[in-house]
Amino acid sequence: MRYLYHAMCMNLKSIAQYRASFLMQNIAQFVMVGGEFLAVVVLMTRFTSAGQWSADEIMFFWGVMQFTFALCECLGRGISTFAYYVGSGDFDTMLLRPRPLMQQVMGHRLDPRRLGGMIVGGGAIALSCARLNIPWTAERLGLTLMAAVGGFFLILGLFLIEATVSFFSVRSIEMVNVLTYGGRATCQYPSDLYPRPLRILFTWVAPFALSMHLPISYVLGKPLFHVPTALVWLAPLAGPLFFLMMTRVWHVGVRHYRSTGT
Amino acid sequence: MRNKLRPYLTAFRVRALLETQYRGAALGGLVTQLFFGLVYAYLYAALYAGSDPAGLRATVTYVWLQQMFFRALFVSDGELQQQILSGSLAYTLCRPVDQHLYWISRNLAAQVVGMLMRALPMLALQLIVPAEVRMALPASPLALVQFVVSLLLGVFCVSQIHAIGLALTMKTLDNRGLSAMLSLLLMTFSGNVIPLTLFPDSLQTLMRFQPFAQALDAPIRAYLYAPPMGEWLVSVAVQVVWIAVLMALGRWMWARQLRNVTVQGG
Repeated sequence: MRYLYHAMCMNLKSIAQYRASFLMQNIAQFVMVGGEFLAVVVLMTRFTSAGQWSADEIMFFWGVMQFTFALCECLGRGISTFAYYVGSGDFDTMLLRPRPLMQQVMGHRLDPRRLGGMIVGGGAIALSCARLNIPWTAERLGLTLMAAVGGFFLILGLFLIEATVSFFSVRSIEMVNVLTYGGRATCQYPSDLYPRPLRILFTWVAPFALSMHLPISYVLGKPLFHVPTALVWLAPLAGPLFFLMMTRVWHVGVRHYRSTGT
Repeated sequence: MRNKLRPYLTAFRVRALLETQYRGAALGGLVTQLFFGLVYAYLYAALYAGSDPAGLRATVTYVWLQQMFFRALFVSDGELQQQILSGSLAYTLCRPVDQHLYWISRNLAAQVVGMLMRALPMLALQLIVPAEVRMALPASPLALVQFVVSLLLGVFCVSQIHAIGLALTMKTLDNRGLSAMLSLLLMTFSGNVIPLTLFPDSLQTLMRFQPFAQALDAPIRAYLYAPPMGEWLVSVAVQVVWIAVLMALGRWMWARQLRNVTVQGG
């Protein structure tokens, strides 16, 4: 982990060299995610509630998803743009260095523009909390954190699928986006709104429901799927588990990797 | 007349042929659009919660039409940016054509061909979409005709917007920030993110008359509601006015840019 820390510090230093650009890009991201925020506000003004969820509760789900996804795009930039490094030969350089491979990939790039998105996501969480009167116990706080951590690793794992595909096809396949960006669009709303096939897809294949919706629904006092409390704590681990599995698959890909040449 | 139009028709044809090469991208886009269409449709089904079946049907149809003709909003043409960077823009500028019209012809080709390559298979896929979230037929045969006419005007309107974007690219030399902003505006205010029909009633007039609504929202409203001839002609007039305004603005900007263009690279 020391390598990763070091690499990230280096990245931050390089970004600090371009302060104006950094600020501009953050404002652009802020406006973009802000636009999505307004879209949800428009929808919830029109419909006032979605299934069993009130407008503020939907906003809470939305905020956690946006914040986590933006955080993941920021820290996981090296993974989400991995296909380029295979194409450009940067990955060959990494293979030669005597440092853990995954940490090198993760530390290769940061995307601090996403701060703008995190601010909007965090703002949505704060706004909905202010209106919801959630009795903030240590348990609820812990579960919210678990949802963010679980979601973080899940999304990272989904980016890894894209990275693995790039070993076998030089052109990254757009269909993988269905799970990442489609997952974000779908699962920014709780999964009980959707019909069975979509629910199954986002519970057992890309487990957004387990790692995010279940703990959040518990925090909001309307636990999904009627599961016992102990399982609510276990469910977000689906995220890290998914990430570990995808790391293994990715390493299999690495073994089959043949350089693209220069 | 024919001879004068020929270079633009050729520009159109060349760009159209190029667009047909991106069949893989079209296929990938098809899966993505089908997925998003399904997700949105089911989301609205949950939001309406059985309270307004006609409203739900209209919204679902709106969503599908947006997903089908979504590509009409974009030209995804990095050509000008590349020519600016490499300096080969100098050769393009030497051509004895009207630059503004030349780029508009290219825009139109990318929009129309890209749109058809996605819309037709999407239409066929409606047959396998579950009945409860399937799109409705046009309100009447006349509504279908109105839809097609409005859609063509809408596509033309978008090509003017992109021509303005290209003029700005000439000025700023880097179109990344600009094109991100432009696609955000196009996606949001053309009704792709959420149907413009769902905005609060107090904002409806504003929403219908702003330029981005002329692209897909105006034709979709014709498809859904089969407006009386008079009302529809008003919406067509709004489209034509916007096309005229944007075209005039675009021509003025292009003329200005071409007067003090600096060729980079070498």
